[in-house]
Amino acid sequence: MPDGSPLVSIDNLRVEFRGEDGPIVGVEDVSFSIKPGETVCVVGESGSGKSVTSLSLMRLVEFGGGRIAGGKLEFARDSGVLDVADADPEIMQQIRGNEIGMIFQEPMTSLNPVFTVERQMTDGLRLHRGLSQSKARARALELLKQVRIPEPERRLKQYPHELSGGMRQRVVIAMAMACEPRLLIADEPTTALDVTIQAEILALIDRLKRETGMAVLFITHDMAVVAQMADRVVVMFRGNLVEEGPVEQIFTNPQQDYTKALLAAVPRLGEMRGKPAPEPMRLVGQSPVEADLKPARKPEPLLEVQNLTTRYPVKGGVFRRPVANVHAVEDVSFTINKGETLALVGESGCGKSSCGRSILRLTEPTSGKVLLDRTDIIAMNDRDLRRRGWRDMQMVFQDPFASLNPYMRLKDQVAEPLMNYGLASGSELKDRIATLFDHVELPRSFMTRFPHELSGGQRQRIAIARALAVNPKLIVADEAVSALDVSVQAQVLNLMMELQSEFGISFLFISHDMAVVERVSHRVGVMYLGRLVETGSRAQVFENPQHSYTRSLMSAVPVADPTRKTIRDDLNFRPIPSPVFPLGHEPGPSEYTEVAPGHLVLKDNKT
Amino acid sequence: MSYILNRILSMLLTLFLISAITFAVTNILPGDVAMMIMGTQSNPEALEGLRRSLGLNDPLLVQYWRWISGMLTGDWGTSLVFKEPIGPLILQKMTASAMIVVFSMTIALTCAVPLGVWAAMHPNKWQDTTASSAALLGVSLPDFFWGIMLILLFARWLGWLPSSGFVDPREDFLLAARHALLPSLALGLGLMAHLTRMTRATMTGILNQEFIRVARAKGLGERTVVWNYGLANAVGPVMTVAGLQVGYLFGSIIVIESLFNYTGMGWLTYQALLNRDIPLIQASVFVIAGVVMLANLIVDLLYVLVDPRIRLS
Repeated sequence: MPDGSPLVSIDNLRVEFRGEDGPIVGVEDVSFSIKPGETVCVVGESGSGKSVTSLSLMRLVEFGGGRIAGGKLEFARDSGVLDVADADPEIMQQIRGNEIGMIFQEPMTSLNPVFTVERQMTDGLRLHRGLSQSKARARALELLKQVRIPEPERRLKQYPHELSGGMRQRVVIAMAMACEPRLLIADEPTTALDVTIQAEILALIDRLKRETGMAVLFITHDMAVVAQMADRVVVMFRGNLVEEGPVEQIFTNPQQDYTKALLAAVPRLGEMRGKPAPEPMRLVGQSPVEADLKPARKPEPLLEVQNLTTRYPVKGGVFRRPVANVHAVEDVSFTINKGETLALVGESGCGKSSCGRSILRLTEPTSGKVLLDRTDIIAMNDRDLRRRGWRDMQMVFQDPFASLNPYMRLKDQVAEPLMNYGLASGSELKDRIATLFDHVELPRSFMTRFPHELSGGQRQRIAIARALAVNPKLIVADEAVSALDVSVQAQVLNLMMELQSEFGISFLFISHDMAVVERVSHRVGVMYLGRLVETGSRAQVFENPQHSYTRSLMSAVPVADPTRKTIRDDLNFRPIPSPVFPLGHEPGPSEYTEVAPGHLVLKDNKT
Repeated sequence: MSYILNRILSMLLTLFLISAITFAVTNILPGDVAMMIMGTQSNPEALEGLRRSLGLNDPLLVQYWRWISGMLTGDWGTSLVFKEPIGPLILQKMTASAMIVVFSMTIALTCAVPLGVWAAMHPNKWQDTTASSAALLGVSLPDFFWGIMLILLFARWLGWLPSSGFVDPREDFLLAARHALLPSLALGLGLMAHLTRMTRATMTGILNQEFIRVARAKGLGERTVVWNYGLANAVGPVMTVAGLQVGYLFGSIIVIESLFNYTGMGWLTYQALLNRDIPLIQASVFVIAGVVMLANLIVDLLYVLVDPRIRLS
């Protein structure tokens, strides 16, 4: 292969899927190429055809009911250029796992649960390289060392469920690297991972690329990851290529409106530096959202959480008795002022969701106090909680597909809280619902529709309208924008900020996304292992992080700026220890150092 | 280890509940053992005397204790109809039935698993439609229908196999097997239909999982992907359903054994019910429940071998 000639060149690719009424186009017309040793990121929102493109290159798309309907997919092999689009299935089997390796999104389900790691790592080597089991085993061990898995010998004998998510993704990467492929396709490889593990996996892929000289085709929806990983970027939208170019050019001088809109919708960590209050995002092609979110001069507390502790029993043994406790929330205290947003941020399992649920008593806390407008929520009996407590506090959940009833019309779902509380009936009810649809910027014609007729973002607006219906003082938004595409996420965030400035609602905003949190919050609490390790104003926590965990969390966040590379190979984050403790274990109280007025940092011997 | 202990303990508890329910229900039925023995026209005083000597006037709990301790120590009493000790009687009939239960399960599994996998490999294609329709046909028609069809085909028209009767396998195994074959087939067809549907559903789910895509992306052939990677994950669920079907089989043998005049456990239970042979009814129900639970316990224990995720918990 002569220098400079592409490893892969895709020409006018068109992919169709079988549909009930004729073929559905998955990819309409896409052309781009990948040179040896370069990383090409394909970025786009859901339904853009980015995954279909990568699956076509492996000819795996046909297993999902798809068909390459046109175009060429040329792959440069040692023996000459092959058009993958009409290669024999036998030749494709030789290429897969051998000349092209692939890793997928879900490390939890990417490995066969009933086979050992060794078996899954060696079968490809035995197939493509004809190695004996013992030689294949030696190579597998070498690969596990290369991806820096601790105790590699032990891992070979283990089953996938014995490994953490990050370790599984390392095994999957090692598997894909087994036969030294010349192209690695990574389809959203870090989307399901926590931010610190994401940083390590991104660094790993980048290092392997440099060490082996392979090319990487990296599929992602995350512009920040693109900025960190890409040499060149391909932007896709609805099955078509929108724009292509070197990463710096895409970020500094995008040509197409769609690319500009996409970039504008991405919150960038650090861009709120020096600003006194949350600000709606400026979205391309939309009039700017006005929202004055400056904190009140004399803030009034709305929600006071004091020493909140929630533990779940772990049941075991023959009689399913509690044998241990999960310490989900451990002595957490904070205050949310009227009209302000407090964000709880942390990685999975840190207790942020349990904390939100405990405040509404959807999960009964073990101890602690929750005061809403000076009314003790914990002391309420079930009847008072339903009649008064939940009228003032509402929740918006992460998954807009699961949190709406598929059999009910949207207007009935929004009407439900109003009827439950007897707040409106007859024509007044209709008017209130119509107004709520206006507030969340959905056309009134949607009122008679069913949830499946809406997109994810529209559904989340309905969930917000439902929460707004009873005029709550507080809305707990638990990862409410995490499942949405960036442009939709930005719109929903803007909507929340607009509603806050208009109605003075307070938000408890629970999220894993530091950049989003920086954008929307007045105050921030960082959670780790059930404890609040650091709390303060947005500026205090983001501009002057004090706790070591806050710092490592911040350093792991990829920044949507290709000139600021945060991906480094020397990352070595401490794995999060287990929050499970034996019965009767009483950890000490959370003790804080006040480094500045309102800026509290946990004294470290407690974590 | 705690998993196995857990299973065994819960099985013993269930068995105890079943024994209590069986005992209570058979005592609520009109008529009692004394009347069965002496006939409905007997002298009330003699009847009362027999009741007293059999302990039928004792409180129910005392009677239950006497019965259950007898069951556990091997004293199962005497059948009123057959005038034989119940223990050896049930053992003999159970052996006969075990043969058709094992045969029919073997037939069903060897056909259902490949058929179900084949259907799952070609979702919504003709292979799937064929297998699914055949399975639906099998599920919809009752076992005795297949029994009659099989008798007509293999016994009447082709004359290959005997249409009825039972031969003790210890005397002539080959002849015994020939007699067991048609009832086993009749049972196996319905069972196969259930298991095919189950295998298809399980495999369809598995083949859509990410690790199957990863296996394909490694370049493994479709045969390895499906029959090795896929099927290894389906063994557990299919086995569980097969275990549950053992209970269904013991329900079906009552009809099938009568149809084929095959003197096994189903036939025995039927005779006991027909003649209100209360001690035999109680013992039969208890034994059948025990065998069904034992089958499920074996499945649970085998699960430990096929699914590593259970070993730790």
